[in-house]
Amino acid sequence: MGHEARKGALRDFYTPLVAAMGYKFTPDDELADFLLEQEAALEETKGAPYCPCQVRTREREHDMTIVCPCIPFHRAHFDAMRRCWCGLFVHQDVTDPDSLPQIPASELGIRE
Amino acid sequence: MSDPIFVYALSTCPWCHKAKKYFEDKGVVFEAVDIDLLPDDESDRLAAEAFELSGSRAYPVVRIGGEVIVGFLPERFDQLLEAEA
Repeated sequence: MGHEARKGALRDFYTPLVAAMGYKFTPDDELADFLLEQEAALEETKGAPYCPCQVRTREREHDMTIVCPCIPFHRAHFDAMRRCWCGLFVHQDVTDPDSLPQIPASELGIRE
Repeated sequence: MSDPIFVYALSTCPWCHKAKKYFEDKGVVFEAVDIDLLPDDESDRLAAEAFELSGSRAYPVVRIGGEVIVGFLPERFDQLLEAEA
């Protein structure tokens, strides 16, 4: 399956999942496409669609917390930012994702 | 400027690309490493180094002087560059 097909399948799979958590795909289609491309490639080479912006440690317990959509494992952090770390998903009422900076968990008093 | 600016990055991360471009556009001398492109042992060593500095596994991790910033935060980078100048 080429990445385009797999990206479509990931998008279809993620949409209802993240909607149930109050999130949606970023309106920034270019960013979403780039991130899905990275995830499809990571899935192909590393075995799972890992978050493109968090490092794998090869410790299963940690690495499972960065398999997309990783929102449930970082809920307080991402809700505070109104986006996930890589920006693939944003809160459902977000219209301008560029206005949402990354905020380190430590600065929100959140231990991850 | 004390220590050189260092960007711990992932080749898959667009915010890491933005951080590197930020310093390139500023014409600031910096070093950067795409940790995920390194052999496992080297990748592990640098990921541990970045975790030691930041307490986080999220990227980019940027070291400017003695400060460590997690994330692409250009205003913060501006402030620290001014302070280091």
